[in-house]
Amino acid sequence: MSALLRGFVYGLLVVNAVLLTSAVNIWFERKFSARMQSRVGPTRVGPLGLLQPFADVAKLMSKEDTVPASGNRVLFTAAPLLATVCALAAAAVVPFTPDVVAADLDVGVLWVLAVGSITTIAIFMAGWASNNKFALLGGMRSIAQAVSYEVPLVLSAMVPVVLSGTMSLSGIVTWQSEHLWIAAWPLIPGLPAFVIFFLAMTAEANRIPFDIPEAESELVAGVTTEYSGMKFALFYVGEYAHTLVGSAIASALFLGGWSGPMAATMPWLGLVYMVVKTLFLFFMITWVRWSLVRFRSDQLLAICWKWLVPISVGLVLVAALWVELVPGVH
Amino acid sequence: MITTIGFGLLAALLVGSALYVVRATNLVHSVLGLGVTLSITALLYALLEANFVAGVQVLLYVGGVVTLMIFGVMVTRRHDGIVVRSDSANEVRGLLGGGGIFVLLALSILESDLPSSPVGPAPSTASLASELLGPHVVAFEALSMLLLAAIVGAIVIARRRDFGEPRQDLVTRARAAREALRVEALRAEAEAPSPEPAASDAAEPPRADEALPSTDGSVPAQEASS
Repeated sequence: MSALLRGFVYGLLVVNAVLLTSAVNIWFERKFSARMQSRVGPTRVGPLGLLQPFADVAKLMSKEDTVPASGNRVLFTAAPLLATVCALAAAAVVPFTPDVVAADLDVGVLWVLAVGSITTIAIFMAGWASNNKFALLGGMRSIAQAVSYEVPLVLSAMVPVVLSGTMSLSGIVTWQSEHLWIAAWPLIPGLPAFVIFFLAMTAEANRIPFDIPEAESELVAGVTTEYSGMKFALFYVGEYAHTLVGSAIASALFLGGWSGPMAATMPWLGLVYMVVKTLFLFFMITWVRWSLVRFRSDQLLAICWKWLVPISVGLVLVAALWVELVPGVH
Repeated sequence: MITTIGFGLLAALLVGSALYVVRATNLVHSVLGLGVTLSITALLYALLEANFVAGVQVLLYVGGVVTLMIFGVMVTRRHDGIVVRSDSANEVRGLLGGGGIFVLLALSILESDLPSSPVGPAPSTASLASELLGPHVVAFEALSMLLLAAIVGAIVIARRRDFGEPRQDLVTRARAAREALRVEALRAEAEAPSPEPAASDAAEPPRADEALPSTDGSVPAQEASS
């Protein structure tokens, strides 16, 4: 029973932390993009417009919840739930400090990748159930993108697994606290693998420059065209949660997670390191989003299959050679 | 106790969703049902404390195979209104085949003394890998060759028409012939020395260029949909 209670408390904490951070991040992104474009962003609700996301939630809740008459009601309702739940479920294995992990699975990396791959089906379900040509096109693009980018994502995540010899995220972070960050040592499979993982993760979360499933200049709003009210909000928050959790996982896999100076003696400092690294990666994604333009579909697939996949296969081989040839890795 | 109830629930859901996969009249519903079936299978693996197998099951089958199947369904445009319900003769045959395999498997499982609950601690991923690439490497490689053969076979079956006599219905063949005549005429027109002034010379080559890719593109599309 204590295991159930522990799981319940951790689940409640992690889900609320992720959702709250996503809400604040939406505010931050609006302010940040406004500054980049010489605007001021939200200012009216609360100091500096800080309460804007909460006002938005109230607005979205009071909106009419529409379902297309010719659409599929069951799938249309299930899709936003599935997308958000998958994004949140990956957060279960994120290690925040040496002791604070909701579920320290021995196959944590696999769990993250598996749950992330279901998001694609949720997005396709949304596109198909809407019975709208723009939504369907968005869904198809999403499938093509996800099938491609899953390969470099999995392969680049294999590099830390091979180097540390474990699939548990806490195990990988512990290995990095004893050696160096994987992004820094060994530099050759580490840093390129981090870059590829980061790119593929951005693509999996459908963020600009990889957001062709919802490309608003071509597809109205892609898969979310027919969605309104809280269902739309779930997609929106799900996308932010996916990005946030992805950043947390990238920082655990490659940037040492909670490890850092003095973290061994003061566990709360580990939590600070973890949060700072995660938010930094999230900030990078926001920065990229407001600096670059969207790729075309063919460019997107060419980048993946002609560059990321071959390079990441090579990186896994280099990592295996490193483990074999350099003494004292494991 | 909880495990038994959980297993019963999952098994009932598994059978229900598997039946839905074969009975659904819409191919997209069928594929999504298959996703549910495969996810429940992964849950059964997790119940046996085979976490690695469960994770791989979701990653490869739900995230990979089902996604590819959806992609295939959408690309071949079988989603708009075509009912793929099997006729009664196929149903009887399918029931016989499926029942036969079920009886065979059930008998062999009952005869063997496989444990129904996890025995001891689950093997680590590393030991799983060294087993797979050590004593069982021949079977592992043979399986991958089998998969390769299956892929090549699928391509040969799917593209048989490209190798032998094209198997098209009359409408498609007539349309293709008319298209070929039109291309021929356009090409002759483009290549013939034009008696007209230079203005039409500049206008004509783009017209031929424009027509050629469109006809090239339209003929395979009709084959695919027929």
